[in-house]
Amino acid sequence: MRLLLVEDDSMIGAAAQQGLRHEGHTVDWVRDGREAEVAAVGGAYDLVLLDLGLPRKDGLAILRGWRAKGLALPVLIITARDAVSDRVAGLDAGADDYLVKPFDLDELSARVRAVLRRRAGRTDAVMKLGALEIDTAARRVRWKGKEVALSAREYALLETLADRPGAYLSRAQLEERLYGWDEEIASNAVEVHIHGLRRKLDPDLIRNVRGLGYTLAAGA
Amino acid sequence: MRSLRRRLLVWSLAIVLLGGVIAAGVVFYQARKQANELFDYQLRQLAFTLRDRDYIPSAQALSGDGLDFVIQVWAADSRLLYRSHARIEIPGPSEAGFADVDTALGTWRVYTIWHRGLWIQVAQHRLAREALAFSASWRTLLPFVLALPLMGFAIWRLVGHEVKFLRSTAQAVARRTPESLEPIDAASVPEEVQPLVDSLNGLMARLGGALSQQRQFIADAAHELRTPLTALRLQLQLAERAPDAAEREKAHAVLREGINRAVHVVEQLLTLARADPEAGSATRGLVDLMELAQAAVQGHGAAAAERGMSLALELRDAPLVVDGDRATLRALLENLIENALRYGKAEQDPLPAAIFVRAYRSGAEGVLEVEDAGPGIPKEERDRVFDRFYRGEGVAEGGTGLGLAIVRRIAQRHGGRADLLEGAGGKGLLARVSLPLSPA
Repeated sequence: MRLLLVEDDSMIGAAAQQGLRHEGHTVDWVRDGREAEVAAVGGAYDLVLLDLGLPRKDGLAILRGWRAKGLALPVLIITARDAVSDRVAGLDAGADDYLVKPFDLDELSARVRAVLRRRAGRTDAVMKLGALEIDTAARRVRWKGKEVALSAREYALLETLADRPGAYLSRAQLEERLYGWDEEIASNAVEVHIHGLRRKLDPDLIRNVRGLGYTLAAGA
Repeated sequence: MRSLRRRLLVWSLAIVLLGGVIAAGVVFYQARKQANELFDYQLRQLAFTLRDRDYIPSAQALSGDGLDFVIQVWAADSRLLYRSHARIEIPGPSEAGFADVDTALGTWRVYTIWHRGLWIQVAQHRLAREALAFSASWRTLLPFVLALPLMGFAIWRLVGHEVKFLRSTAQAVARRTPESLEPIDAASVPEEVQPLVDSLNGLMARLGGALSQQRQFIADAAHELRTPLTALRLQLQLAERAPDAAEREKAHAVLREGINRAVHVVEQLLTLARADPEAGSATRGLVDLMELAQAAVQGHGAAAAERGMSLALELRDAPLVVDGDRATLRALLENLIENALRYGKAEQDPLPAAIFVRAYRSGAEGVLEVEDAGPGIPKEERDRVFDRFYRGEGVAEGGTGLGLAIVRRIAQRHGGRADLLEGAGGKGLLARVSLPLSPA
């Protein structure tokens, strides 16, 4: 999933970015409030990890601004402010979850998954679409009951398509979701990975409709 | 004796008793004087009666009503003709009139008359008069003495009642806890105790202030420690997950940096805590600012070179000696220099940046300055920047936000002040600390 990390401390930011990337997420990292505002509106993020004590603009103010504008972006607050009143304020301002520093990397990942699941309307960590079974917690894929080994990018792409069954995502949109700002994208990267998925799972699994984009043929 | 009540009781009763004794004494003298006059009169009357009669009443007749009179009659040639009481001998007359005569049996008041060749002496023992005076004065004193226990009881109860408010004030103070130090109501307290209650309220207010400052500091410190600790936790987890030795090396290096930062934050917090007035100090004494500046510049030379900066030392007006704590003054100067090293150079600026460290005298003060030509601090922020944990708007990271709070606290604790001004030419920052010089 494509995540926006908003954190002003460089050590925490670097470690969190690295940890989340290991989990297969694409992570863009900004360090102050104004940059966060611009990035969230412009980019297509699946989730924002928002620190509250930011220079230039307070995290809660930013969140309220987003919600007021109707931006339904999932937001997970990460902060050192642990008082109950702070948590209530954060959640009421429109956050989907509230995590207090210092936090565990595993817990962070689990909560990210939980928020994404809820947003997709799922309750189970395992997505079942016909013969396709995706365990989002373990990042494992089964096709017709048998486990299939996928590369990190292939998995990310599959998960992105499966997250919105029936929706069409263009190549550009897929590129946006899979690659962060600081990553080079080969021009045919998406095609290569789609090809890989078709080969490993099923040729008819992913349909490409001209003008609309790629979609997962559910119930295949 | 430490009880107010007991002392009041004892002194009151003592005064009353003294009053009684004085009254009794006065009465005694008055009564005795009157008794003397009365008895003298009686002596004379008796003498005249005897003179006008030709017989002498018997001794029994004379000793009635407790008035013991002794009569002696002498012939002109000092021959004793009559003595009423055989065993009482009073010396013979020498002249007429009243006289006090000492005998083995005591002092007698004697009235002597000469009549028809005879000396007639009528005498009465002094004690008879004194007895009367005593009984009169005793009757005066007795009520006082009898009343003493009653008065004692009344005073005890009265004082106890008045003093009750002290106990209730003590209870009010006892009910106060560090969390609730409301002032005690001084309205219902007697005048004499009001200063005490006012001082107590003042003390509680100061205590409350100090406690809340401490609480605030602890809360701030705990909050601030979360950042370095969060980084450490994440960095450790990444190191644990490193797939190979090379990755692990890198992760450990990052972890090491994280630990250094955490240590630095803790050290700053400790310095700040020690700079607070309640902390004791082991290194107080006379501190030479020149020497301090020199040591600080030498200590940071390498760090400066690493960043492409240079430290220049400017000293004049030696000696500059202040009365203070060497360790905290060193921390003060180090914080200023570290700030200059961190923020004293605009990132894009390729030229080597110079930082000036100065020590000089200004009036009765020793001044330490650290000046850089970096981005500086905008005027509006220059005061807020001294707040604990405040980090400026344009500041990326790296600092703990405590440096200037420490500088100001230490300066204040030494009776001086810390100011931030524009650097030379309106560029950069000049941090100036002024401290009162030691009079020695």
